Amino acid sequence: MDLNYKQFFEVMPAYLTILDRDLRVIQANQRFRKDFGDFEGRYCYEINRHREEPCQNCPAERTFQDGLRHGIEEQFKKVNGQEVALIVYTTPIRNEAGEITAVLKMATDITEIKLLQNQLRESRERYRHLFEEVPCYITIQDRDLRIVEANRRVREDFGDVVGSQCYQVYMHRSEECVPCAVKETFQDGQVHQTEEVVTARSGEQMNVLVSTAPIRSAEGQIKSVIEMSTDISPIRQLQSQLTSLGLVISSISHGIKGLLTSLDGGIYLVNSGMEKNNPARLKQGWEMVERNIARIRTMVLDLLYYAKDREPALQWFPAQSVVEEVYGVVRGKAKEVGIEVLTDIDPMAGDLSADPKAVRSLLVNLVENALDACRVDKKKGSHQIRLGVRGYPDSIEFEVSDDGIGMDQETREKAFSLFFSSKAGDGTGLGLFISNKIVQAHQGKIQLESEPNKGTRVTIKLPRRGPMSRAVSSKPS
Amino acid sequence: MASRKKILIVDDEEDIRTYLSTLLGDEGFETLLAKDGEEAWKQVGANSPDLITLDISMPEKSGIKFYREMKADDRWKKIPIIIVTGVSEDMRKFLSSRHQVPPPEGYLAKPVNREEILTLIQKLTAIP
Repeated sequence: MDLNYKQFFEVMPAYLTILDRDLRVIQANQRFRKDFGDFEGRYCYEINRHREEPCQNCPAERTFQDGLRHGIEEQFKKVNGQEVALIVYTTPIRNEAGEITAVLKMATDITEIKLLQNQLRESRERYRHLFEEVPCYITIQDRDLRIVEANRRVREDFGDVVGSQCYQVYMHRSEECVPCAVKETFQDGQVHQTEEVVTARSGEQMNVLVSTAPIRSAEGQIKSVIEMSTDISPIRQLQSQLTSLGLVISSISHGIKGLLTSLDGGIYLVNSGMEKNNPARLKQGWEMVERNIARIRTMVLDLLYYAKDREPALQWFPAQSVVEEVYGVVRGKAKEVGIEVLTDIDPMAGDLSADPKAVRSLLVNLVENALDACRVDKKKGSHQIRLGVRGYPDSIEFEVSDDGIGMDQETREKAFSLFFSSKAGDGTGLGLFISNKIVQAHQGKIQLESEPNKGTRVTIKLPRRGPMSRAVSSKPS
Repeated sequence: MASRKKILIVDDEEDIRTYLSTLLGDEGFETLLAKDGEEAWKQVGANSPDLITLDISMPEKSGIKFYREMKADDRWKKIPIIIVTGVSEDMRKFLSSRHQVPPPEGYLAKPVNREEILTLIQKLTAIP
């Protein structure tokens, strides 16, 4: 070997060996000798792999056979026992006649690279696992707010969303939200946070806390934005309940103070009526006491519905009977204020299993709301309220409609909230909230349709056989 | 014999109107009744009461509005008014709304103490 090549061969930062046809190492450079020891007269597989037989798929043998260069990844064992990962290339060495006389084998240590590759794979795996399994909704979005990746929870609750715009998926709308946290992150590269209400494909609405963060390329350019949304509905519900609780305490306190004054008045009239031997005053006072005790009773019953989820006391009864009963109660009151109440009863409605007291108070509540809606509507000369019931194979549908003042969208949306009242000082804000609770307790559905100045229609559908999870007494023959 | 003092009772609760009217009647007062600010205003114009007990939370014209109008009217601003209310929140709103209007002559919280309201009314209607 030429001296220059020899020197080059010696100092190359790789393991260099020259093998003969028997795969004996006939020359080895400094680095090889240092790590693999003596080589004279020994086979390469003996030195490198501590084997007695040639390796399968040996690149040097293949080079001897086909005269081409070959590469392969191999594990070598050093003289100290340490294993190293190597990438091995073999090149033929030819004589002047062009015959292959030996093979040059160059092996580069790739242990570090292998280690980094493994770490990278593990890290990717961990990231993928975290992305998929973290208990929040994660999407990665491009500049057009198109979802390019979505985790398992997003796929489960919002469907196959990749390729869709985030506002279509989360908000069911055709235009982007203003402001948009993802866009803001694209603009300033900062983390942004916002709270939104999103709608899952099941129709369920959730309050979510949204955080966005940029994903940058190696050059520092923002190439996409990661959006993480956490469902905070339970927290918001709790918050709303706590606010409601504060309001309920204030409302009870107000109500009780008024009731106590009236009771005190009744007692005064009773006592002074007796002292003055005035039976008319005594009677008037006693009626005041009775009336206010009845009001306290109603208030307490209403509050019980608010305070806990009361289980309905189920029994079978004709749907028609409860409507007729309510009609009997409200007809007189409506007539006093010049409002007509009409019934629309399906005589074949049949029986249902429900809590008759709860259903009655639900319907009375709705009719009283209808009366108020008609009473305050000064635009029309006369008003009508319709109270109806219809039977279906598996359900009973009650309906209360009026041609009163109606509700705008905001009032409609808040109608079932606790302590929301559109009646100034007249309403407690308990009525529709409790009506809704009664319907829920029966696993029924309540629907409200209303238009300002036209009127309101409330439809309640209750399962004929009562709530499924509760034991139902046997149906009478 | 001096003529009986006229007390206007303004409250949307009929039972409370009946109660105060009977109580004050027994104490020798003449009583006038109003269920809201509108009616109260009519009573003031027609009967010039010597004192008014006024509830604040009422469905039609609120007690706050009625009070402000009374105290802004030279003809009636000297009529003493006792606020009778069940909610401290009402009183807070009332006080914060009282721009350029003098404070009420009396304030009583529901449930009303019988002795307290009688003493206050007698004091405010006594001839100096």
